[in-house]
Amino acid sequence: MYGPIAAVTELSLTVRRGEFLTILGPSGSGKTTALMMLAGFESPTKGDILISGKSVAAVPSYGRDQGIVFQSYALFPHLTVRRNLEFPLEMRGVKASERAPLVERMLKRVHLDAFGERMPSQLSGGQQQRVALARALIADPPILLLDEPLGALDRNLREQMQGEIKGLHREFQKTTICVTHDQEEALTLSDRIVVMRAGKIEQLDTPEALYDRPATRFVANFLGEANVLDSPELGFNDQNFRGKVPMVRPERVRISAVNSPAPAELGQSQVVTGIVEEMIYAGPLRKYQVRVGDKSLIVRQHVASGQEVFAPGGSVRLDWLRADVRLLDE
Amino acid sequence: MQVFQRIGRAPIILVLPALAVLLIVFGVPTVQLFLESLNAPNFSIQNYSSFLGQYANLRVLLQTLEISAIATVICLLVGYPTAYLISTASKRARMVLIVLVVIPYLTSGLARTYSWVVILGDNGLINSALVNWGLISSPLPLIYNRAAVYVGMVHIMLPMMILPLVSVMLGINTSLIAAAKSMGAKPSTAFWRVYFPLSMPGVRSGTLLVFVICLGFYITPAALGGLGDAMLSTFIASQVSTGFNMGSVSASSFVLLAIAVVMLSVFGLNLSGTQDSAPKLRKGFMERFSLLRVVKQYLNELSVASRSKQWSKALYQAQGDGGWSRFAGSLTLTLVIFFLLFPEVVVIIMSFSSDATLQFPPSGFSLQWYGSFFGDEAWYGAAWTSIKIGLAVAALSTVLGTLAAYGLSRIASDFRGWLTMAILAPITIPVIVVGVASYFGLVNLGIIGTETGIVLAHTIGAISYVVVIVSATLANFDRRLEQAAKSMGARPFTAFMRVTLPLIRPGIIGGALFAFIHSFDEVVVTSLVSGYSVRTLPLKMWENIRNEIDPTVAAVASLLTLLPILWMIALYVTWWRARSSSQNTVLEANA
Repeated sequence: MYGPIAAVTELSLTVRRGEFLTILGPSGSGKTTALMMLAGFESPTKGDILISGKSVAAVPSYGRDQGIVFQSYALFPHLTVRRNLEFPLEMRGVKASERAPLVERMLKRVHLDAFGERMPSQLSGGQQQRVALARALIADPPILLLDEPLGALDRNLREQMQGEIKGLHREFQKTTICVTHDQEEALTLSDRIVVMRAGKIEQLDTPEALYDRPATRFVANFLGEANVLDSPELGFNDQNFRGKVPMVRPERVRISAVNSPAPAELGQSQVVTGIVEEMIYAGPLRKYQVRVGDKSLIVRQHVASGQEVFAPGGSVRLDWLRADVRLLDE
Repeated sequence: MQVFQRIGRAPIILVLPALAVLLIVFGVPTVQLFLESLNAPNFSIQNYSSFLGQYANLRVLLQTLEISAIATVICLLVGYPTAYLISTASKRARMVLIVLVVIPYLTSGLARTYSWVVILGDNGLINSALVNWGLISSPLPLIYNRAAVYVGMVHIMLPMMILPLVSVMLGINTSLIAAAKSMGAKPSTAFWRVYFPLSMPGVRSGTLLVFVICLGFYITPAALGGLGDAMLSTFIASQVSTGFNMGSVSASSFVLLAIAVVMLSVFGLNLSGTQDSAPKLRKGFMERFSLLRVVKQYLNELSVASRSKQWSKALYQAQGDGGWSRFAGSLTLTLVIFFLLFPEVVVIIMSFSSDATLQFPPSGFSLQWYGSFFGDEAWYGAAWTSIKIGLAVAALSTVLGTLAAYGLSRIASDFRGWLTMAILAPITIPVIVVGVASYFGLVNLGIIGTETGIVLAHTIGAISYVVVIVSATLANFDRRLEQAAKSMGARPFTAFMRVTLPLIRPGIIGGALFAFIHSFDEVVVTSLVSGYSVRTLPLKMWENIRNEIDPTVAAVASLLTLLPILWMIALYVTWWRARSSSQNTVLEANA
């Protein structure tokens, strides 16, 4: 598929039972190959995959007992919703008489009891997604794999389905591995996130820790926006950071008029002045782009009443707490 | 079950049965022929030099190239505007027009050639009309000359030019033309600078397809041309049938094959140079068969909403198509469709003639020729033989071709290109060469002149059609569905039977149908390998046309003209029904 270049070079990770783990990375980072190996459609040239201590690297997908929700769902277009849900039960040898109540219960659980006789093409995107989830869960596999589960949905539906997936995870307690390039999807759904880059793990942590304490410049930029403070005007010189790069998140930066009273905690803050280049109003927040020396810094400010708005071209003062500065590896 | 696992890992196993038949019937004898043409084991080019040394041979060769080239150019000049008009017509009109182009494509070539004998003959439609109106006193020499050959060849080849062109033109985003106009391009500039270059792949595939098939043309020039209009295939066929010199037959076949291969490899490559040539070669190869796909696409598209396409078309048309140009467009379309279908109508009328000889219009109507078809064992026996052979070919090639297509879809792409090319060879090189090669292949097997032999000879071409159609269907098949089945515990064989097979069934049925048509209409290869002991319907018709025996052939031809309508209904039902549960719909809903 990818020729002689290894798509995944180093991936060593342990998933805890019942955990929701997301593999997050840009396209080409090796996340899909990783999922294909977990699903049993590709086998690793080196290394092993263990489930509950047993090696499955040589076990084909049909022997693995996993539920998979595919990107764009892969519902069987020639079978009704009910027959789609019966398929995994039938393959596991469940008798027809025992299949019916299981299907019925699952349909009810995903609020599709009235849709059993429909063909997949007669369902909306969100309904198809729920059928796909139901089909992956119905045979009660210990592991659930999700491939870009929300990628095919529009924004509103996506938020609704996030809730649905979280609910199902809480209820069924499946060890879930999700692959996505969408940082929001990863942050909202996961217990832990693995950020991948060029076939290797860049960082593995809880969503909050990843966002708040990114280890590398790549992670900082991939999850959210980052102001990298690597110029002398911003107090940067090589000696004081020993090869690391200081970074502050845009929402940790305060913007104020140049002549406003100095911040109280002056000793613990860093203060610079700059010129507003751009102001973008985005509903709940305002985003400023401020030029300081030869750098542009981004500031996110929650919209509040009585707030001063700065027009492009004007001078402003920016300040942030030293404690909010993170040191990143290159 | 172990077996299926192994197949999963080595999909080439699935291609092997088809390849084996191809090699035995066609590949090995081709190599033998080549060695023979070089006088192996004492290699020399004596056969070639003596072939090319004779003025008469050289003249036939040049004439073959000239006739093929001129027929191709006429097809392009007529076909391009027609295809353009079809592809820009409203959706309903477009569908009707495509059906009207496909009907002659699916009609027996012999029946269509015969219709021109009826129209152009000395007592035929045109001459009788002119004499009756007193415009001429004796019949004009309309038939048995070069002009008649061009009329007949263009008539036969035109659908093969139009369909690939339409298929490519429909893929051109018309908003690009609107964009060009919005940037200040005049309609003609927009056409030449944007539309025409984008339609080049269709021009290339249509032209190549038509030219290479013309090179191997045998029936039409022989039936409509004079003695001086012989083509190389006529020459080769007559040598094979009259106790021939093998060296000379093989040398002339290879000259023809070489020309075809050079054309295919030079022009099969992407000339625009925008993409690397390797994948393009493969694509170009498949594109040439897009005519098969366009039919399917059309039947499929019946109820698919394509609002965006229509929006851009509305935008495009809003920019001024005058009444005059619309009139010219409709006129062109009417004339072309008339040219394609009128001969078939003439044959149907002719078949009810009460006259004893070929003359048009008939002086009275009767069912005597249908009577003589159904009353003469030589005729209905031949028809029955053809049906039996056709069914056997369809069954064999559908199984082998489907396995091969499925295997090909799983093979790494570089190798797949070469394998596909090998499997499609029987329908991409001049048919007379396939005939000569399979003649020697069947001689090797000792089954020349048997029905089994004819079935094998037809099967190699039929496999190509099945592979083309099933591959096109598999290309739309989402492999993740099979993975999904496996992830739910289905073993590879179960996954194939329960998921893949039901979803590609329309393609398989379409492939079987084309395989049957291919066998049922085949006359060139059959005439070489039948050894005068097996009589198929096309052979019997061909003999009848050549010897101008009686208009029974008109009754047969008119029956054969009705068949495509049956085929169209069969295709429509299969593909339309498949649509209701089609995966395309799902993918669209998700897109």
